[in-house]
Parts: sequence; C-alpha cells; structure tokens
Amino acid sequence: MSTLLPSPQAASPALRSFAGQWHTRTPDSLAPLREQAMQRFLKLGLPTPRDESWRYTNLRSLASRTFVDAPRRDRSEIEPNASLSLVRESDRAASLLMVNGHPSMPNGDGFIKGLEISSLSDLSKRDPHMLRGYLEQPSDPELSRFALLNTALFVDGLHLRITEPLAVPLILLHVATGDGVNNVAYPRVIIHAAPDSAATIVEHHVSQGRHAPLVASHTHLVLGKGARVEHYRVFATAADAVHLDSLQIRQLESSRLEQFTIALGGGLVRAGLEAQLARDGASLNQYSLLVGHAERHVDCANVVTHAAPGTTSTQVARAIAGDSSRVIFNSKVVVNQGAVHSESRQSCRGLLLSAQAEIDTRPQLEIHADEVKAAHGATTGRLDPDMLFYLLSRGLDRETAQALLVYAFLADVLTGMSMASARSAIEGALIAQLPDSQTLRNFR
Amino acid sequence: MTLLKISDLKARVAGKDILKGLDLEVGAGQVHAIMGPNGSGKSTLAQVLAGREDYEVTGGSVAFEGRDLLAMPPEERARAGLFLGFQYPVEIPGVNNVYLLKAALNAKRKADGLAEVDAYEFLSLIRQKMKAMHMSDAFLTRGVNEGFSGGEKKRNEVLQMLVLEPKLAILDETDSGLDIDALKIVSAGVNSLRSPERAIVLVTHYQRLLDYVAPDRVHVLSGGRIVRSGDASLARELERRGYDWVLEGKVA
Repeated sequence: MSTLLPSPQAASPALRSFAGQWHTRTPDSLAPLREQAMQRFLKLGLPTPRDESWRYTNLRSLASRTFVDAPRRDRSEIEPNASLSLVRESDRAASLLMVNGHPSMPNGDGFIKGLEISSLSDLSKRDPHMLRGYLEQPSDPELSRFALLNTALFVDGLHLRITEPLAVPLILLHVATGDGVNNVAYPRVIIHAAPDSAATIVEHHVSQGRHAPLVASHTHLVLGKGARVEHYRVFATAADAVHLDSLQIRQLESSRLEQFTIALGGGLVRAGLEAQLARDGASLNQYSLLVGHAERHVDCANVVTHAAPGTTSTQVARAIAGDSSRVIFNSKVVVNQGAVHSESRQSCRGLLLSAQAEIDTRPQLEIHADEVKAAHGATTGRLDPDMLFYLLSRGLDRETAQALLVYAFLADVLTGMSMASARSAIEGALIAQLPDSQTLRNFR
Repeated sequence: MTLLKISDLKARVAGKDILKGLDLEVGAGQVHAIMGPNGSGKSTLAQVLAGREDYEVTGGSVAFEGRDLLAMPPEERARAGLFLGFQYPVEIPGVNNVYLLKAALNAKRKADGLAEVDAYEFLSLIRQKMKAMHMSDAFLTRGVNEGFSGGEKKRNEVLQMLVLEPKLAILDETDSGLDIDALKIVSAGVNSLRSPERAIVLVTHYQRLLDYVAPDRVHVLSGGRIVRSGDASLARELERRGYDWVLEGKVA
C-alpha cells in the first residue's frame, strides 16, 4: 500500500482509504492503466484552494473521512424516479438504471434500435483494447482530478454505442444510495455516437435514502463524423450529497453537440467539462443552468479546446443564487494553433437573490491561431430596477414582477432544450427552488 | 372636474434638486402639453408621477382624483388609472409581450372588482388594437420590447395604453424618434383615447406631435417650474421663436 503513497504520514485518511480500495480491487485487463491513474491521483492529492481550478471549492471536509464502496443494490430496492421525473408516463423514452455505478442491463437485444449497450465489466473482458482506447485519452489532471480516481477505482459502468439516429430519448438514471456516512461510488459512462448517428441522452443524478454517498462520476462522450447529440446532465441529489462529476467530450468532423448542465440539487456539486473540438467543423453549444438554493455550493469548470479549423463553440450560463448559496462558473476557451476560422462565444449571467449568496464567474480566452472570432461576457447583479419599475408601472404586483424577471432570466437556456418533457420537468424543479415559486408556476 | 392637481412639487434625483415647486392642474377631458428645454425636469415629472422609487419627493403634493398619489406604490397608481408611456421603454427578454399586456389588464380589472379577461375576448381585443397601431402578429410572440426598433417600442407603449384605457396617460416624449408615418399612427392612437372622462399629458420637446394631437393647454417647464402656460398657440410660438424667448420673458 505504501508503495502507492508518496508520503504516507502526510496523506489524509481519505487518500489512504482510496489507496486501500485500489488494493482490494481484483486486477482486470485495465490494471496498468488504473495503477497509473491511481498514482497520479495520490501524487496530486485532494485539491486545495491553491489549485487554480479549485479556488472556490474547499474539499477539506472530505479529507478526514475514510471511504468504503457504496453497497450494491438490487433494482427492486430502488424507488423509481427518486426525486424528479423527467419523462411523463405518456412519453416514449427508454431508460436505463445505474445504482452506485452498477448498471442494470436491459433484457434482450433491440432495447432501442440503433443502440448497443455493454457493461464495462463485460467489455473489459471482451474488448479490453477498445476500452483502453477511451481510458487513455488524456484529460487535464487538475481540472478533472477525480476522473483519475474514477479511472483507478470504477468497478462497472456502461458503454453505449449509438449506430443510427435513435427514435426515442434515452434516460440514464443514476441513483446514489448509501448504507453509512462514508460510502463512495464511481459511476462511469462511455457514450459513442457513430458517424451520422443522432441521439438525445439524459443523465439524471439522484440520491435515495439518508446517507448519500460521495459520488465521483465520469462520462466520456465521443461524437463521430456528422453525429448529432443532445446531452443533459442533471444534478438533483439530496442537500447533503457531495458530487464530483467530470464530462469529457471529443467531437469529430462536423459533429454537433448540444450539452445542458443543470444543477438543481446536491449540497456540493463540482461539474467539470472538457471538450475537444478535434476535427474540422465540429460544433458545441453548451448551456448551464445553475441554481444555488439554501446552502448549496455549485462549481462548474469548463475548458473547451478548438483543435481544428472551422470549429465553433457557444457557452451560455445562467446562475441564480439565493439564501447562503454559492455558484461558481469558470469557462475557458483555448484555440490551438492551426484552428483558423474558429468561432467561440461565452456568455455568463448571474442573478443574486439574497445578500448572503455569492456568484463567481470568470470567462477566459487563450488564442494561438489567426482569423478567429471570440467573444465573452460575464455579468452578475440583482434584478434590473428599470425592468422591475416598468412591470410595476403596468400594475403588476411586486411579487409577480420579481418572479417574472427571475423566470425570464432562465428562459435563454430553457428555450434551447428540444426535449419538451425534460424541459418541462426541469423548469418545474427549478421554479420550486426559487422565491415566489407559487407565482412563477403561473407563467408556464 | 380636476383629475390631477400638482401643488408646489419638489423632487430630487441623485442628490440634485430637479423639480423646484411645480404647480399643474389637469381636468378630465383635457389634453395638456408640457414642453421645455433639455434638463428642465420634464422626464423627472413623468417618473415621479408614475412612482419611480429612486426619485425622491422633497416637498409638495399630488392629488389624483382627490387621492394622495405620492402615498401610493407604482403598481397601485397604475391600477387606479395612471399610465406612463416611457421615453425609453426597457427591453425585457424572456417576458412575453402579450403576457405582460394580459397581466397588466387583469391587475387593473381585479382592482376594479372585475373578473379576469376571457382568453378569447382578450386576443380579439389585442388584435383590434394592434391593427390600429399597424403592428404585425410577430409582436405577439416576442419578449417585451425585445429587439424592437425605437419606433416599434413607442408604438408598443401606445398599444399598452389603448388596452389599459387609463384615466390619465402621461406620454414622455412618445413622439421622439418617430418618422412621419409612425407619428401619424401614434397620434391617431392617442386621439382615439380622448374622451370627456380621460386626460392626457404629452411631454414633448417639439411642436410636431401637437400638429396631430391638438392640446387644450400648453405649459413651458424650465428650471423645475412651470414658467408659462397658454393655449395651443403657445406651442406654435415656441416653435417659431425658441425657448429662449420664454426664458428671457421670465426674467423680464
């Protein structure tokens, strides 16, 4: 065990317990790769505010804890749709369940036409070479530090291969559920959209029961030439849950991704996103809707890299913080040498609803190519007094006017969602966490 | 009957005294024009009457149908029948233009003890008023003033006024930035609201609007006070001789 720890006396109980987990895993075909990831993670340790990408999020409370794997749970022990239902009964959608990272495999082939589903435990035996291909793709160790931990310690997960346009949306319900205060889960998902395929995929994170485990999840999304994907990740866990998620994206020629990151639950949510626009004409529209409520802490860190000519990216973030919550949105666009005629746009707006709340935003640009169009802007404030007065002067009562403006603030992101049932459910859940929610419901 | 009675009104904006003892009386059925050079306090007067909170009233009184207007919050003033057409209507993306109209109308109806407007009736009312203002159906689906040109914003203000049918409409430079066709449309809208029980106060810099909406009374505002009042001919004389003529007259 000590061979994995650079300085055992300095290591926290948390790090020692992660190393302990590594030792109890049965080595599989990924062992060398996992060991490398574990060593890198242990060397880096838990992030501190001195790490640039973690300036605003302090994980000190984790350090003194000793983590053990969250229990496996049978499907029958899970209450369906733990907190928020993104699909109505009447909708046609397919759903898959993952509990603490362990997938429930659907029975039989042809679950959805054009979708091939494998568990990662199976794939590591059947096609380790392919699986290693995904795991070896480099990611920023500082930004996505817990992706390293996930690589080292994930037990199972899902590989979804989309081979043609899917007729219905796919809902992936991630349930985190613990049997004690110090559980940890490592959900891992790989989604590969083959050339010219198309899909709408919702990853919906919820928790069940009293002790929500620490979740260190990772999703890898690869879009082949001409593929079109709409991907949602919705964080809706309990108020005591700590969720460290990273999303790694790689887009090939002329692929198009609409990505929605929605934080409306959890005590601490860290959502990393790394996107590589790797081939000509790839296009990414990334939307974040971040709601700080009660004492929630939401930290989003995006890095979008334009690595090929003619690639385009848009990042639109809307953050609302009430009570004593804190929302952080850092986005960075890197345009590599040679990525000429690339275009990027970043727009982040924050709305503070209480004097104790805090919003921090920082858009950054790093351009190493010529003939590039890049724009960014970030503003944070309270409700616009001119807008408020205008509505009051038309006879609307103050409560309605304020609620209407909050709703309008979110609209930019909501209107981008093409999946009506998901939009409606997300809207409903967001509104429930805002002041004057009773009034807000009338606008829908 | 006196609808609006302003007595010795004093107001301050950002620590600066703007209105310095203004008196004005507007009777039902009348159209008044308030003219004056830039910085004379015209817009401040309009904003104070509508209830803008960051404009501090430091003296005087305003009675609206005998009620103390200054004691009412802005939304109550609106429901009591006061309407301000803004000089610079704010854009509110994400708040639907028609939704606002409906919410405004229902707020007023509620205050009047009436039931909410029927959806079908409302839509036909809106279409009729939009037609009068030469506005296309596209306005129905857009955010409040979102992406509207200057002229479209002003027409939207008048549309709101026509739907709400206020007792007292204060139009703050609703004519500025309009081309001649738009000016005629806006004027026709304003004229259609004229009635024995209503009053209209036109705050304007130019005589142009008054060619189409004939005022009963014209006042010149300067240095935070009404310095001269007269009939419609005063506006024409101002246009010909400039504000200096009145201001010099005041000194003399």
